[in-house]
Amino acid sequence: MVVRIRLARFGNKRQPFYNIVVAQARSARNSKPLEVIGTYNPVPQRPTNLSDEEARTARPIKEISLDQSRAKYWIGVGAQPSDTVWRLLGLAGIAEGKSKAPR
Amino acid sequence: MPPRVQNHPVVNSLLPYLSSPSTSSSSTISKIPTKYSSSPSLQSTSRQTCRSFSSTVAARTKLRTEMFAWLNGEGAALKTHVPGSNNYVSQLRNKRRAVEGDEEEEGRRIVPPFPLNPNFLSQPILSEELRDAIYDRVVNQKQSVRVVSVDLGVDMRRVGAVVRLVELEKRQKQQGKSMALPYARAIHEMVPTTPLYRNFRDNRINPHESINDLPVHRLTDPQIFYPVSESCQFNRVDAGRVFSAAPALENKQVVKNAANPTEVISRITRNPSRIEKIGKGEDEQQVLQPADARIPHPHLVAHERYRLSNPNERREVMNAYKQRIREEENAEKERKRIAKELRERQITRVQPESSRFEFRFKDVVVSKETTGTNGRGAQAPGRRYGVPSYDRKKGQVKIPTRVEV
Repeated sequence: MVVRIRLARFGNKRQPFYNIVVAQARSARNSKPLEVIGTYNPVPQRPTNLSDEEARTARPIKEISLDQSRAKYWIGVGAQPSDTVWRLLGLAGIAEGKSKAPR
Repeated sequence: MPPRVQNHPVVNSLLPYLSSPSTSSSSTISKIPTKYSSSPSLQSTSRQTCRSFSSTVAARTKLRTEMFAWLNGEGAALKTHVPGSNNYVSQLRNKRRAVEGDEEEEGRRIVPPFPLNPNFLSQPILSEELRDAIYDRVVNQKQSVRVVSVDLGVDMRRVGAVVRLVELEKRQKQQGKSMALPYARAIHEMVPTTPLYRNFRDNRINPHESINDLPVHRLTDPQIFYPVSESCQFNRVDAGRVFSAAPALENKQVVKNAANPTEVISRITRNPSRIEKIGKGEDEQQVLQPADARIPHPHLVAHERYRLSNPNERREVMNAYKQRIREEENAEKERKRIAKELRERQITRVQPESSRFEFRFKDVVVSKETTGTNGRGAQAPGRRYGVPSYDRKKGQVKIPTRVEV
């Protein structure tokens, strides 16, 4: 059985919010995972408390919380990140960036 | 959708009354259909033609005529607001009753908004001058919110709110948005306002509101009967410890604290993170501090204590006061800086070329300590499994109800 690092959807209708979880690949999306190692909020947040000039150049923020050492550990023991998680881990500098996984 | 058939006669019959109040009622009503009829003889037929689409009955009842007569006659007095009075219909009646009443304007007079309700008492609001003075002191003179609050007798939260709102007003003015000035003027006439005195000492003597109120703490809700022997000293520090179920202080410490109470309080207010904690795991909380430390302006107590001990050295007392405030502010600045640094250290910002978003990675810890034995610890990241979220339940308040300054 493959262990995957993937997203589990929480939040309400039209308000997605994801837990970054380590789970058995064949288990249901929102079933209880082996471990929750972070969260991902895909809804861009407006940065606040900025001056007018800063506000013009500021980018909307996507918030991710991640336990980097746990992520590294799970990848080290062979867990396979899903495409989305791979992209996020790539941004965090944990996994190497890759183009879309071959189907 | 087909274009709507416009109901011309109805619209036009209302317009003259709304736009030109000076004309007398009878003449305006006769003038209505002029747009459609060239001569008075054609009036009735032309009215019929232009009403052909309308299913409503011609609205020319006697009551309606009387209403417009009143609106243009007696009621015209209520059209504009006269400063120093409220625009009530009952006023007309009073005026009729006492035509030669000698009502003279005597400066600024408060006109109660509900004259028939003697129980309506409004709290005072800030006058425009006081409001502008607060903004000027905080933004232009760079005085701290704490100092402004003490000097002008306005709560610190209100000072913050005033600064934010004036800032907002300025921005709206810059954008060319219109201000509701008549509304503001009317409100300022109806409720008492706190003036800005020429000498700010007067503002301190007659404050806008009480600025040093002790907030009610949850731990002080229960009544506790705590037996203390008469030989023991029992003060606010001990009471706080009893409320939070902390063991009593050692005698040595009590004696040390009693020697310099100001020092004890300032130590607490300057290093709130070093307050003793009690409880384990999720139940860990800070020991309830004495009221002297929990009030918004603890430095005022220290000031008063120092003033009483040095009654004849006014200048030195003032210098000590300023020094104390400066130290307090510096400590707070330092505290905020450290907190910000800590927050920054936990966050990695990534701005990839290919995306228009910024990704913020926050470091969290997943361990036995954070997740807890049942995996539901509040410090662990992520939404919980098997714990219902009550956000759709009745009575859940989602809008913030207060602003912490």
